[in-house]
Amino acid sequence: MDDPSTFPIVLSLQIAALSLLIVAPPALVIAWVQARRRYRLRSVVDAIILLPLVLPPSVVGFFLIVLLGRKGPVGEVLESLFGVRLVFTPAAAVIASSLVALPLIVKTVQPAIEAVPIELEHVGRSLGLSPLALFRRVTLPAAWRGIVAGLVLGFARALGEFGATLMFAGNIPGKTNTMPLEIFAAYQAGDDARAMLYVVVLTAISVAVVFAASRLNVRLEGR
Amino acid sequence: MPTSLRWLSAGVLVILLGGCGRGAEQGPATPNAPPTVAAAASMRSAMPSLIEAFGQPVTVTYGGSGTLMRQVEGGAPIDVVLFAAASPVDDLVAMGLADGATRCKVASNELVLIGSQDSPALTWQTLTELPVTERLAIGEPAAVPAGAYAKDALMQLGSWAALQDRVVYAGDVAAVLAYARRGEVAAAAVYSTDLHGVEDVRVLDRARWEGAPTPEVVGAAVTPSPSGRAFLEFVAAPAGASILARYGFGPK
Repeated sequence: MDDPSTFPIVLSLQIAALSLLIVAPPALVIAWVQARRRYRLRSVVDAIILLPLVLPPSVVGFFLIVLLGRKGPVGEVLESLFGVRLVFTPAAAVIASSLVALPLIVKTVQPAIEAVPIELEHVGRSLGLSPLALFRRVTLPAAWRGIVAGLVLGFARALGEFGATLMFAGNIPGKTNTMPLEIFAAYQAGDDARAMLYVVVLTAISVAVVFAASRLNVRLEGR
Repeated sequence: MPTSLRWLSAGVLVILLGGCGRGAEQGPATPNAPPTVAAAASMRSAMPSLIEAFGQPVTVTYGGSGTLMRQVEGGAPIDVVLFAAASPVDDLVAMGLADGATRCKVASNELVLIGSQDSPALTWQTLTELPVTERLAIGEPAAVPAGAYAKDALMQLGSWAALQDRVVYAGDVAAVLAYARRGEVAAAAVYSTDLHGVEDVRVLDRARWEGAPTPEVVGAAVTPSPSGRAFLEFVAAPAGASILARYGFGPK
């Protein structure tokens, strides 16, 4: 942690892991609702969830700053009530990463849940299982490959978040300089060797993630 | 070696007096297309007026001088550079990517310390009194000249070590200004010219002590494009200087 060159690697992994921890439960619930429920605003919810995936990161970053910045409606309340300031903190990086990871998880998990025969859930429910138990004992065992694939992809997306993080969390060496930010700063500074270190690390992780996700999905389709 | 020294200074003088844009012509790369100028973010306010007065179409791309330098290095189709410091221009000249004969100082600038309306009244000298929960925004020193000047200033004043943990870095001076305007930081280091038409920030202090860093705008031609060179000459000439002065730039 004390070595300035390993700090961005450790920080990025921590931020991505924390983002995944925060975003996985709501993402799974949303994926389940979108897969199983037919309600009036379903397509609207679908579009809203997809937004962070299709919007430029700068737009996501802008929204976050306008909303959660010190002069933003939410940011102002947070600071005056709790003394919490989000901008330029690792927490801001976690929020940005969580937001962009969410749609990727939902969109990967949703088809996996849809592929689970709904009769199984009906049976489970008729046996008196609570929604949580139903998920844990029926949906999860049947759809776990797709769920793990979604979480792995979400982790990778969180790890690679750049644009919104730069705007919202800023670049503070030793505090918010994640690997993508460090690559950008090092490139700008002409320090290609330093950039290459993180390029290699991020590429290796991404290759592993894509490989894992595709294997999980291939097996899912083969069932 | 007084003779050779004299020759050397004579040579330097020739280069200095050579003026802007009068380098060796090797034939234009793109004869009829408007020249592309890579200008430091700090030139953003003045550029439209300069181009209008120049009277011919000019394409501009803005960014941190370090970023733009990397783009030229990477082969971006840029004819002229106008950077906020001498070093990125000199680096390009040293790499053989810009014509050293056209390199010239265009204007000077001033480093100012700004804050939002509710920032504490700090000066360059008392900046270390910045509350520990507050932040100082500067440009990424290795890539943004304004950040390098700010870091130099703080190192000169002996306060860099104490402030280092409270600094947030931005990719160009426009982003530094944006942080200050939104009140996300209590203090920020920008150029006085960045404040042209900006009313929601407060000038806390100007870097005017003896030996304070003096930012400069330096240009050079990258390609032999005659219209690009003509534009650089125009900017460095009195007509360009008077426009730059209107936007708060100092004499070269």
